[in-house]
Amino acid sequence: MKEKISSPVKRIESAEKSGGHATYIADLKFEGMLHAVTLRSPKPRAFIKAVILPDIPKGYWIVDRNDVPGRNRVKMLVDDQPFFADGVVNYVGEPILLVVGPEKETVVRILESIQVRYEDLEPVLTVEDSLDPGIPPIYESHNKFAEYEIRKGDPESAFMDASEIFEREYSTGCQEHIYIEPQGMTGIYENGRVTVYGSIQCPYYVKAALVQGLGYDEDRIRVVQTTTGGAFGGKEEYPSIIAGHVAFASLKSRRPVQLIFDRDEDIRSTTKRHPSVIVIRTALGGHREITAMEIDITLDGGAYCGLSPVVLQRAMFAATGVYNIRDVLVRGKTLATNNVPSGAFRGFGGPQAIFGIEMHMDALASHLRKDPLAWKQKHILKEGDRTVTGGKIREEIKLPEIIGHITRMSGYEKKRVGLKKSGVRALRGIGTSLFLHGCAFTGSGEKDKIKAKVKLKRDTESRVEILVSNVEMGQGAGTTLRKIVSTTLGLPIHDVIYDNPDTDRVPDSGPTVASRTVMIVGELLRKAAQRLEKTGGDEVLVEYEQPPHIEWDQELFQGDAYPVYSWGANAVEVEVDPDTYEIKVTGVWGVYDVGTPIDEMIVRGQIEGGISQGLGYATIEVMQSSGGNLKQGTLTDYILPTSMDFPDAESMLIENYYEYGPFGAKCAGELPFIGVAPALASAVGHALGVSVRQVPVTPEYLMEAAEGGD
Amino acid sequence: MEIRFVLNRKEVTIDTDPLRRLLDVLREDFGLTGVKEGCGEGECGACSVLIDGELALSCITPVGTVQGASVVTIEGLRETKRYGKISDAFAEAGSVQCGFCTPGFVIAAEALLRTNSSPTEDEIREAISGNFCRCTGYSSIVEGIRIASRRGREKGSQA
Amino acid sequence: MMAGTGAIPLAGGTDLMVRHKRQGGLIPRFEKPVLFIGHIEELGLVVSEKSCVSIGPCCTYSSLMNDHRLPEVLRTCIRNIAAPAIRNRGTLGGNICNASPAGDTIPVLSALGASVVLSKVDGKRIMLIDEFITGPGTTVREEAELLTGIIVPQTKFDCSFYRKVGTRRYNSLSKVSIVGLMKVEEERVSDVRVAYGAVAPTVVRSRAIEEEIIGTPINDIRNLIPHICERYSDLITPIDDQRSKKSYRKAVSLKLLRLFFEHCTSKL
Repeated sequence: MKEKISSPVKRIESAEKSGGHATYIADLKFEGMLHAVTLRSPKPRAFIKAVILPDIPKGYWIVDRNDVPGRNRVKMLVDDQPFFADGVVNYVGEPILLVVGPEKETVVRILESIQVRYEDLEPVLTVEDSLDPGIPPIYESHNKFAEYEIRKGDPESAFMDASEIFEREYSTGCQEHIYIEPQGMTGIYENGRVTVYGSIQCPYYVKAALVQGLGYDEDRIRVVQTTTGGAFGGKEEYPSIIAGHVAFASLKSRRPVQLIFDRDEDIRSTTKRHPSVIVIRTALGGHREITAMEIDITLDGGAYCGLSPVVLQRAMFAATGVYNIRDVLVRGKTLATNNVPSGAFRGFGGPQAIFGIEMHMDALASHLRKDPLAWKQKHILKEGDRTVTGGKIREEIKLPEIIGHITRMSGYEKKRVGLKKSGVRALRGIGTSLFLHGCAFTGSGEKDKIKAKVKLKRDTESRVEILVSNVEMGQGAGTTLRKIVSTTLGLPIHDVIYDNPDTDRVPDSGPTVASRTVMIVGELLRKAAQRLEKTGGDEVLVEYEQPPHIEWDQELFQGDAYPVYSWGANAVEVEVDPDTYEIKVTGVWGVYDVGTPIDEMIVRGQIEGGISQGLGYATIEVMQSSGGNLKQGTLTDYILPTSMDFPDAESMLIENYYEYGPFGAKCAGELPFIGVAPALASAVGHALGVSVRQVPVTPEYLMEAAEGGD
Repeated sequence: MEIRFVLNRKEVTIDTDPLRRLLDVLREDFGLTGVKEGCGEGECGACSVLIDGELALSCITPVGTVQGASVVTIEGLRETKRYGKISDAFAEAGSVQCGFCTPGFVIAAEALLRTNSSPTEDEIREAISGNFCRCTGYSSIVEGIRIASRRGREKGSQA
Repeated sequence: MMAGTGAIPLAGGTDLMVRHKRQGGLIPRFEKPVLFIGHIEELGLVVSEKSCVSIGPCCTYSSLMNDHRLPEVLRTCIRNIAAPAIRNRGTLGGNICNASPAGDTIPVLSALGASVVLSKVDGKRIMLIDEFITGPGTTVREEAELLTGIIVPQTKFDCSFYRKVGTRRYNSLSKVSIVGLMKVEEERVSDVRVAYGAVAPTVVRSRAIEEEIIGTPINDIRNLIPHICERYSDLITPIDDQRSKKSYRKAVSLKLLRLFFEHCTSKL
């Protein structure tokens, strides 16, 4: 059964997409539809003293904070972010109002003649500024969206008894998703109901935001996902803002309103990956063994809280990576700055933490004159060990097998020892990383917050329809969920229907995030299929039940942070030009344990895409802020990998059946991104003989590291 | 200004500002929404079309410059047998994930294969170097084009 | 047609359409009328003469990059511009008149001693490309003039070197670019050209330094390299921007200069 399901099938929507038939939000037209364009703040922080409008022609509208019938706050963890700026702006790009009308040329002309008078406020531009009592805070009195501490064992004693303390600081940069389809939504007000169509990951997040923004009952709101051209977390929480905008606009104008972002608008004003600074101190005992670690994580949360507390939690839970460290103190904080708000992005805090711990273990190995991989292997978690939150590892950890494969596939051992020169002048190096990803929502999130429900409905004698709120966004959910149901019922896959979710028709099975769609929702669908077959009925609803062994205390962050983990290793080989410090990636390998792959081709697609994004994050995707403005604000300046940049990745999957996942599946979508940056950084460090402590690893950074500053 | 050109094998005439982007003329005036706007600055390739058989970016092409030319979009290409081979190969290789970039890659593949029916891997990579994909990491797209080139050696399908 | 209107000539439009872009769906806004010239046949020809090749300004990069009448170093440079779709529409004349400090062909044309032909209704003038481009985005083209030809001398060099350091391996704007050409006769340097792009407001080229080097025995060049680097160092004035840092650009410029001379001395 396991083998059968993993065998690849032709992706259902492949032909439709290849031929340009698929309808994305910008392709969807409604009669009488109006265009909306957003007026955005050019300032990182200022009071809005006045908004001076020109004469607005008939048939055109201004939509602003006065047109929000409910609460002018976007529903998130903490409702600090307004739909429209409320007298003050906190980041360059913050929306102030919309201009809406039938001719876009006129809409833009009106927009360009609106004058806004600002009174500049001292902006908080860096995390150092954020903690500076001399600058008035943005958020509460302390600028801390969240601050946590996790303790395992007795780190203080270990540090007091240490014979040596080894400390290093690491940093990771900002990254932009660049889903090739820009953000877009269309809102329609009809017969007392608001319907919003859009490119989104989480229909029910959008619905909840509209309930709050409109002040309507749930049954007056409908959210429909349109075929989504990539998301990667960038369409997880952000679209709630635009949904509100088009909803308010359609309510005011009584016409359908479409809002499609331009690419540079998208780059400049949507959420980004949290930049991080991580300080790790390691206590070494008498035999130079690791006795304790103290890890300090700081994330730049940008101007509003968003999901920063949860990103911080995941980073902290991943702080010690795949290692069993006896005594640990993890401290973390996420701070407010007048930068574009940081948000969800594939890995969600994990990549930052794993970069820190992997580079640190690399540096420790170097300090102790050991091979990094052999050194790391001595410390990895085993079944029965406790994680940093005191959770129990309840599965056999396949890392030793994974490491065996990655070293064989990459030729690591020989290459690590011999620094050969290739061609005329290049310096060669190879590096590895070990990593994990906690599957699905943290701790009790599935049980207490999401409470996923799925429905299966018989369409005819032989056809069945999947009704869930999880979306196909390129990751293959449309195919994998169908496969799970069709295999369970013994139906041909084309007899399983799955349409883009519409909240009028689907129950809330939770958001399409945290790599939970196959493992959690897929398993619920498998159970639903079994029950449908058994009961012989027309429809079945199944609700999530937490596996009984999971114990988690959300207050103390103690216990099983995740129901299970997926694991992996990367190896990356590079050549560095000794004159220009340009990096050429000459090989990349990945070996992963995702339980059972529901479709090998789809998992391979996630691996190849995740590796490409990871290599971009590690090298060329530079995103810097200056005075609150993003310096790389267009697709010309934000450098994305092309087909010429990186070689094919060689990958392998290790089966490791997980009994609570469908057909043994765990999580796979984010894992392939997570370990790439440290493997690359380690390879570059090996090639040049320098200690790399930040990503992206740019030629400019390497020149300074190798030759000293000017 | 009156602009006359051949669009997907049919002669068309429009009266419009010659500086209008060809992308907007195709999507709005002709309803050809298979041609996508991904960036509007000639970087991502989602707006790719063929002009006189050559790969071009409709978001930075003024419609006035296609006066008398032949323009082919994905809607025109998908009517051909050659397209069928590319589409099947893409499905087999797993080249399609979110699909937004895909029509652009199909057009780029056609532009390559009509002049070079058995390209090397390097030639394929260079031919698609102006098309961005954020989902696949390109390997499966290169593989799809390689499979298509093996399958379809038929020449002369005038699009 | 052009006099009095200040009309903007447009061939492929690959630079102009980006610079004048507005929101999606809107017509790009040009401050003056636009004159389409890309379709004019006479402007798209390459004519080879005894000692030079004359290139029409509306020749696309694609048509030029494998044209053996052009010097190899110019073809190499063109192959490294952008990506296929841009090369199919973008033109040599466009690259020159755009006069970006990072314009890829400009340092190569300068090193080759290329001239531009500016024509108007009642006459024409010819000048070196170094005289034509006076600053970022600035040329001496008058309102009523059109760039109608680029004349590239067909000098044979014994050693040619081109290197572009971009923001990624391919399809990128230049952080630094360098072109080096050398001719050796009777074991002495009889001609040498060096030009940089993207490290100053316009091309960095110094006939004075080149003439200092001319006459040096090829075996003595290695010893001269530190002095040559010091001479060029004063002329290289890069900036910090969204692509790179001035310290990096300057350091790399001098390293590549050294590589050029080492390449020549080991080859010749």
